[in-house]
Amino acid sequence: MKYVIVGGSAAAISAVEAIRSVDSTSQIDLFSDEKTPLFSRVLLPYYVAKELSKPMLNFRSADYFDEYGITPHIGVRVESIDTASKTVAADNGETYAYDKLLLATGGRAIVPKIPGVDKEGISPLKTMADAERVLNMKGKKAVVIGAGSIGVEASISLLRRGIQVTLMEQLGQVLPTVFDEEGASIIQKVVEDMGVEVITGERALEFKGNGHVSAVATRDREIDCDMVLLAVGVRPDIALAQQAAIEIGSMGGIKTDENMKTSDPDIYAAGDVCETYDIAKTSHFINGIWPMAVEEGQVAGLNMVGQRAVFPGSIRMNSIGNFIGFPAMSMGATHPDECSYVEEDCHFEEIKHRTKNTYKKIILKNDCIVGAIFVGQTQKSGLITTLLRKQVNVSGFIPTLMSPNLNFLDLLPVLRQHGDVFTEPEFKEIMDTGL
Amino acid sequence: MQVIKVDPEKCTGCHQCELWCGSEIASVTKELPQSMNEEPQPVPRVFVEGKRFAMQCRHCEEAPCLAACPNGTMRKDPETGLIYVHEPTCVACWMCVMVCPFGIITPSPVFKVAIKCDRCRNMGYPICAEVCPTNAIYIEERQDYRSKKF
Repeated sequence: MKYVIVGGSAAAISAVEAIRSVDSTSQIDLFSDEKTPLFSRVLLPYYVAKELSKPMLNFRSADYFDEYGITPHIGVRVESIDTASKTVAADNGETYAYDKLLLATGGRAIVPKIPGVDKEGISPLKTMADAERVLNMKGKKAVVIGAGSIGVEASISLLRRGIQVTLMEQLGQVLPTVFDEEGASIIQKVVEDMGVEVITGERALEFKGNGHVSAVATRDREIDCDMVLLAVGVRPDIALAQQAAIEIGSMGGIKTDENMKTSDPDIYAAGDVCETYDIAKTSHFINGIWPMAVEEGQVAGLNMVGQRAVFPGSIRMNSIGNFIGFPAMSMGATHPDECSYVEEDCHFEEIKHRTKNTYKKIILKNDCIVGAIFVGQTQKSGLITTLLRKQVNVSGFIPTLMSPNLNFLDLLPVLRQHGDVFTEPEFKEIMDTGL
Repeated sequence: MQVIKVDPEKCTGCHQCELWCGSEIASVTKELPQSMNEEPQPVPRVFVEGKRFAMQCRHCEEAPCLAACPNGTMRKDPETGLIYVHEPTCVACWMCVMVCPFGIITPSPVFKVAIKCDRCRNMGYPICAEVCPTNAIYIEERQDYRSKKF
């Protein structure tokens, strides 16, 4: 069997490990168009802040490809797929045959078509090349366009290097896809107290300057700067899939079934490039986050090697961790509007608990958790995530779930009610104690 | 793999397992009286929370924390199947905390790492099982009920 993997990050490596767990001898060719292999994109803000050196960004060791018997093609881009002859053509002039192919090409940073965007001193932060460019910029005043997870973390990274930062978001709050208004307002205050100037509700209309950027113009003002970071989002890198006439879903990602297979029976997709069924939203979505990429890659790999594996559906989840010295996490839907209405008698509940510096919110749809936000206090949040992913009815347990003393044993009755869903041995071992 | 099990009929909720985990494993001085006064305070990896039961990391078969860790800090020992935090590379992103179904990973802003039971990987026997005064904590071979045929 010949396996070809297009991509070299979370989903690709996870798939390779799944294949190797069953098949230790077949040929695996892995293509990554990034010149630096095996680095974690999640940690680029730490690299840009000069808090981690490049080797510390790796999520696998340098001898990984040898150890797993993979033929790596680093810095090589696959340009086209011929699904009839089952070959791929790479930009090194060679073609490679495959029996099973994985598309794990991830996403491309969106470069907005704003006049002046091709001036010097302006960069996104997605690839290692972007990170090196930003690291080498000699600016003293930066504007970060987009206050999503990347924008917020990048602002703090630059601040830590002694650069003055203005964070600009066109919507009315920071982190609009991660937190609701209340959670976002707490984070915004933390970030402002650290020294970042935050502007919401304004769009960058032009990048001014003579060759090198010198100011960002909005409708109401001009902000002087000498560097700009673009953090306005990513789009799935579907060029290869489109060229091979593989079906693309309604959200713009490669359409996959529950085995991570595409419309071509020998081609699979995983990670930020594909669409999966979102459990909270009950519709297909691109949940481009590391844990989902790893799980999708594993399911894809197992199916590629002939084992039946099913991906149970994805959810969005984000964790700011300790990066800004103030923990905050959210999973699933941040607002009932994000979920589709499946039946007529769908009902939503939002339960919130707010103190001066903490905020906790759980969103229920028909008594199942579809979303949760934890700001300031994130211990044991995994319990809520698990109940969300299993989609079990938690009515009667709301006070328990909202309690600051929530612990696993309090949820044993829920597990017992849904023993058919909590089948893993680690759950059974606790359920069997009779507690 | 060998897993820790707890018998709630024998557990008295005495917290000995927590104390010993805190002083033997987590502390610097490794002595109980001194470790209670250490700064920063050592963090035990086993939890006795208001019930007659001790909860440690379950070392899940398909551990979600392993998939969530973005830089290879959360690792699985290939010989024992035990999941452990390789603390030198932990960047305190706490994605593992966000996915743990048992809530047994402690996000520590003080130590700047995720703290989790590794079932005393580098010792002969888990300390909680060793010190339990009623032998409520014991080790057994895991049975995966999903593969049982009836």
